[in-house]
Parts: sequence; structure tokens; C-alpha cells
Amino acid sequence: MDRRQRTGYLVLAVVLAHIIVISAQVSAGPGASMLETVTFGSFAEVQRLMTSGFDSVVRLWSGYIGLRDVREKNVELNREILNLRLELQTQHALAQQTRSLERLLELRQTVALPTLSARVIATDATPYFLTLTIDRGWQDDIRPDLAVIAPDGVVGRVVGSPSQRAAQIQLLIDRNAAAGALIERTRVSGVVVGTDDSTRLQMEYVSNLEDVQVGDEIVTSGIDGIYPKGFRIGEVTQVVDGIGLYQLIQVSPVVEFSQIEDVLVVLDAQVILSDTDEK
Amino acid sequence: MKITHILFWLALALLVQTTLVPLVAGGGAPVDLVLIVVVFAALSRGPVAGLWTGTLAGLLQDALSGGIIGVGGLTKTMIGVVVGVIGSRFLLGTVWHRLTVLVGASFVHGFCYLWIHTLIGQDGPAGPVALVTVQAAVNALVGVTVPLVARTAPGMLDRLRRSRNPLRRRRWMMS
Repeated sequence: MDRRQRTGYLVLAVVLAHIIVISAQVSAGPGASMLETVTFGSFAEVQRLMTSGFDSVVRLWSGYIGLRDVREKNVELNREILNLRLELQTQHALAQQTRSLERLLELRQTVALPTLSARVIATDATPYFLTLTIDRGWQDDIRPDLAVIAPDGVVGRVVGSPSQRAAQIQLLIDRNAAAGALIERTRVSGVVVGTDDSTRLQMEYVSNLEDVQVGDEIVTSGIDGIYPKGFRIGEVTQVVDGIGLYQLIQVSPVVEFSQIEDVLVVLDAQVILSDTDEK
Repeated sequence: MKITHILFWLALALLVQTTLVPLVAGGGAPVDLVLIVVVFAALSRGPVAGLWTGTLAGLLQDALSGGIIGVGGLTKTMIGVVVGVIGSRFLLGTVWHRLTVLVGASFVHGFCYLWIHTLIGQDGPAGPVALVTVQAAVNALVGVTVPLVARTAPGMLDRLRRSRNPLRRRRWMMS
């Protein structure tokens, strides 16, 4: 067997191995493989170190060498603004929930969301997937399908298998992402899906007969069991009657996905949902 | 290019791709630094090195991207082998040759990647032709510029230092 033949067999073997690996995952569903878990876990630590190192240099320059006092005040004010925006967001969610409940003449207890703050340490490794890596993992009770929000609105959900101190977030703008949603003004529900365009989402399954207007606010409906009800997703920017039964609704997301630095992970939305259902 | 160098550049490309590129270019930056490393490794070491570099790089990238493990591995393996074969049969010494190989490899990689996703029933990104085209252009730009800068920067800095140092210049003129 000469060298060229050997290379040919090697290529064939590696290609076959890849095909087997792909086939196993496609037939077995989207569970996290051992390779994925190990690679993600170990690489996330290096990413964390690199991001920390880079952040330290930036912080050293802008926080101490540069405008020391101004920078600190600015950081503090920014944190306060974020907290206020989050508070506003929560109040907004509570207010619209209350309106809805008043209509039904029911009294329900509102539950504050238990959340965990996390820092974004890396983004997607390929230009084809829209994911983020955060610095919280299973040691912080992070598990798949937990909702991730920002002060402005919904960011996405935890996917894959979190490592000890890192987890992957699928952004809502990913083409394979979706969230149960409703139009706040009319309470019409549908599903918001990603389009791979960070400035555009799409709302599906809203009948042509329903009243939808440009500027209507879209919030989560909570029916998907992942995202808690009442959190902002975006604003309707275009409404067109579809060829079939449903309207073509374009939504502009409220979250600036390319500038996310810190997020909140909603720890037990499932518990809250089941609690609300029981009541 | 030694194997340790390839591994170093691969790790660096993955780190930069996931941490620094988004800071500079914003989210969804259309550049695949890992592919550039695979192409250069294959060009310098041949098809077998291209195969293993492509496999390792693709699998790592798959594991970090949240997609199906193996799709990136398969496409990058094929790119590594094909570029390695091309590199071992043709003399690709000039910048234009490398530019052509990088653009071609980026196009083939992008469309193969999307095609495999379609085959297994996965949704690919919207506007794939535009995305792959932009990616090929950016990859080519980065793949040509970075080695050029790395090669010429030390000499340029040295010349700049010499020209700003009057004592050294005078001594040189006297001699």
C-alpha cells in the first residue's frame, strides 16, 4: 500500500466517522454529546481567562490610568440605570399581568422572579449560529431551557449541557429559536421566531382576521414553559396579510443583541408557571 | 509550519473568533479564522496535516457553536484534504495564489456546511449566498493581510526606530 493509497483510506475513514457521528446525533435528537460537553467545559475556562485578562487590561486603562473617578461614577450610574430598567421591566410585566387578571376578575399572587446575573464571556464560534457563552454553569444551578433575559427584554435560553462554570445561550434571533408570544394591546397570541438577523424577528400563527398594528408591543405569553409571561420581546414594525391563514408580522427586538454584556438567568420559570396554573 | 505551531494558531484562532472578534466587529462577524488556519496548515504541510487540522478544528468549532457535532468537522476535513492536495501539486507561492485558494475554500466550505445542514433537515441561516460571499471576502482579506503584516511589521518598526534616532542616523552617515 503506497502513501497515496494510505492517505485515501485515511480520508475515507475520517469522513465515515464524521457521518456516523452526525447520524447518531440526528437520530438521537438534540442531546449534548460527551465530546460537546468536554470540549465546551474545558474551552470555556480558557475563554473565561482570556476575557478576564482582556477585561483587566481594559479596566486598568480606562478605570485607573484614564479617567479614574469619572469612570467609576459612570459604571455606578450605568449599574443603577440597568437596575432601574430591570425594575421598570418587572413593573411593566406586572402591570400588564394585572390588567389581564382584572379582566378575568381573578386575583392572583404575583411572584418575583428568582434570577441569577451572569457575564457574557464568549460568542459563537462559527458565523452560522447565534449563541453566547456565560460565566455560570451547573454549580450555579444553571440547566438547559432556562430563560435568559436582559434589562430590556428577552435574550434567549440555555442550550446544550452547561459545564461547571459556563453555559451556552441560544439567542432569540437564531433561526432555530422560538418563543410563545402575545400582542400586548389585543392579547392575541402567536409564536415569535428568529430570522438570523439581529434587527428582525418574525411573529407567526396570527390569523389574518386579528387586529395587529405597527407599533404594537410583543411580550412573552409563557405558554412555551421556558420564558416567563409578560417580558418584552419587541415591537411590530410591519404587518402584511399572508397568502394562507396567517399574517406576516415583522418584529423589531428590544434587546441590542450585539452589545449584550450582562444577562439574568431566570432560575425556575417552570415552578412559577405551574404555581400560576394551579391557582 | 510545525505541528505545535498549527495547534497554537488553531487555539488562538478559536479564542479570537469567540472572544475578540465580536468585540471588534459586533455580533455574527462573518469571518472564519479557524478555516484560515486549516487552509494555511494544509498548504504548508500537505493533505494529511490538512485532514487532521480540519478534523480537529471543525469538531472543536462544532462543540463550541451549539450545532450538530461533525458538520463543521466533515467540511473542514474535506477542505483540509483538498487544499493540501492542491498545495502539494501546484506552486502556490504568491499572495494572489493564496488569495484564490482562500476564497475558493471559503465558498466551498460555506456551501458544503449549509448543504449538509439542509440534508439533515436543519434550518440554515437566512441569505446564505450573501453570507458565504461576505465571509469568503473577509477570510481572504484577513488571510492575506495578517501574514503580510506579521512578516513586514518587525522590519518596518526597526526602520522607523532608526529614522527617529538622530544619533544612530548620524553614526550610519559617518560610516
